[in-house]
Amino acid sequence: MNSSSLTSGTEDFAISFRIAVHAGLDKVLGQSGTAAVLSHMQMTGDLPDTAEFHKKLLALFGAQGTLSLERAIVKDLATRLKWSLEVLKIEGAFDFNATMRAVESGSRA
Amino acid sequence: MTSKVSRKKHLTQVGRVLATPSSGPSDLAETRIATVLGLKQFMQGPIRTLLIKGLAGTGKTTVALEILKAAGEGKGAYISSRVPKELLETHIPAMKETIDNQEFLDIRLEDATSVLDFVMQLTESKSVRTIVFDSWDGLAKELDQKERLRAEKTLMAIANNSGAQFVFVSEEPGATTIDYLVDGILEVVRVEVEDRVVREFIIDKLRGTKIPQHKYIFTLLDGKFTFFEPYTIPDYSKMRRFDRRPDIDESYSFGSGALDRLFGGMTPGSTLTIEYDETVPYPALRAIELPPIINFLLMGRSAILLPLPGANDELTNTILAKAVDAPALKDRLSILNVLRTSDVKTANLPINATPQQIHGVVTNETIRLRDKSVDKTVLLVKSVSALENLFASDLDSLLEVTSQEIITLQQSHDAHILFLAKDSPIRSRILSMSSSYAKLFVRDGTVLMFGVKPHTGIYALQHLEDPTIPSLTQLV
Repeated sequence: MNSSSLTSGTEDFAISFRIAVHAGLDKVLGQSGTAAVLSHMQMTGDLPDTAEFHKKLLALFGAQGTLSLERAIVKDLATRLKWSLEVLKIEGAFDFNATMRAVESGSRA
Repeated sequence: MTSKVSRKKHLTQVGRVLATPSSGPSDLAETRIATVLGLKQFMQGPIRTLLIKGLAGTGKTTVALEILKAAGEGKGAYISSRVPKELLETHIPAMKETIDNQEFLDIRLEDATSVLDFVMQLTESKSVRTIVFDSWDGLAKELDQKERLRAEKTLMAIANNSGAQFVFVSEEPGATTIDYLVDGILEVVRVEVEDRVVREFIIDKLRGTKIPQHKYIFTLLDGKFTFFEPYTIPDYSKMRRFDRRPDIDESYSFGSGALDRLFGGMTPGSTLTIEYDETVPYPALRAIELPPIINFLLMGRSAILLPLPGANDELTNTILAKAVDAPALKDRLSILNVLRTSDVKTANLPINATPQQIHGVVTNETIRLRDKSVDKTVLLVKSVSALENLFASDLDSLLEVTSQEIITLQQSHDAHILFLAKDSPIRSRILSMSSSYAKLFVRDGTVLMFGVKPHTGIYALQHLEDPTIPSLTQLV
């Protein structure tokens, strides 16, 4: 794999991730809620790394709320990247970071 | 859309709030609402979100502000979609201090996104514990149904996670999406009782909480929310010294400031009839029955009492003995219980005495006690019900002697108080003979009273100062 295809893969994932975050949040919080959350997190432009995103969601919505939102995001992303929704299967605790890393590395492969 | 200027201003305000130090550990959301509503016994479960609904002018904003006040200074925020701060303070001057002490966000020109962002900022530091949205409809109506539901769910999630308490004020009459989401719903209503306004709040829902009573009376007297607990039997052991109340110009005092203010005292020669329904507790009637007698005796005058059916003579005697010295009671008070055989015998009456014979006894007692009265005046307090029970088959005679009594007392400048059951068969004829007339009844467990003749406002009767005398709080 050359560097340009690697960059392209990363950019594709970043675009897909951003779209999935908006779409996933929107499904649960609505447009106003999504815009407010992203504005509050100061994430209206580029999205930060998933760990920081997870932490900020956790601060606002707590563990259960965050889980619902993150699952909505991953579901949208998986659908968008034509991945199997197996990634959402709950085996042990759902780990947003680990799931996103898996999706990201998969999308680059 | 939010202008940058207004948004910056809001954020500055938010920052100021977040910098306010916490001022107390014991302000859990559930206890705050409980304190205001007096519903401690109901608040077993945590209530994070509360909807206050009702039509315009019912008192929703005042109730919401009282809850905000209970949050503690600097620990609440009022988000207004209807009126600016200055106008709200003009509308409810009694709550000016509360409004000044809490964060006030004017969102009339803001969109839902900005408002949600403000809420996130307010709750982030956990220092703001109560947020009032007045009104939620003002904002929600700009959203379509699905978007509204999602915005509401967002707020519920924030409330649950932050530990803050969200109070939504709504004028939407029917059930809306938020009704299903909130933990509690209070409905504020304004009803008319014989041309007088009575306010009620109704607890429609309070999740995880046992609700023994759903409706309560409240008043907005002096612009403050005051609710009334169900009437409680006063503790007569806490009776204080009875201070005699002098005559009010030409009128006799009722022995109660509240009753004097309501009726302006008892005009010599007048008859006041107190109509009550079967739900009125006896101690509430006693609070109108005994103070005039006690005051008459303390003024050196005489009194005659024909008690209500079911009166506790022992308690009556105990109360009177605490308030009036023994010689005065012995010399200038006559209690004639016409339903009690022993009293009838004492009065040398046959067991099957007629109304005329009873009237004869009362007349003789009046003459006897008049001589002992400092100014020859006598107060006659009489239960019509007791006589009705006794003379059910001869009510015409009872009316006849009552009429004679009223005329006699009028001519002698005495005072006369009649207690009349609402369902009395001779009600209308007794009322037509009465110079003044008041009603007592119970609504939502609260004893209410108002003057029909003369027309007065409506009042809640309690015993706030002393168990024997009534405290009357106007319902407005």
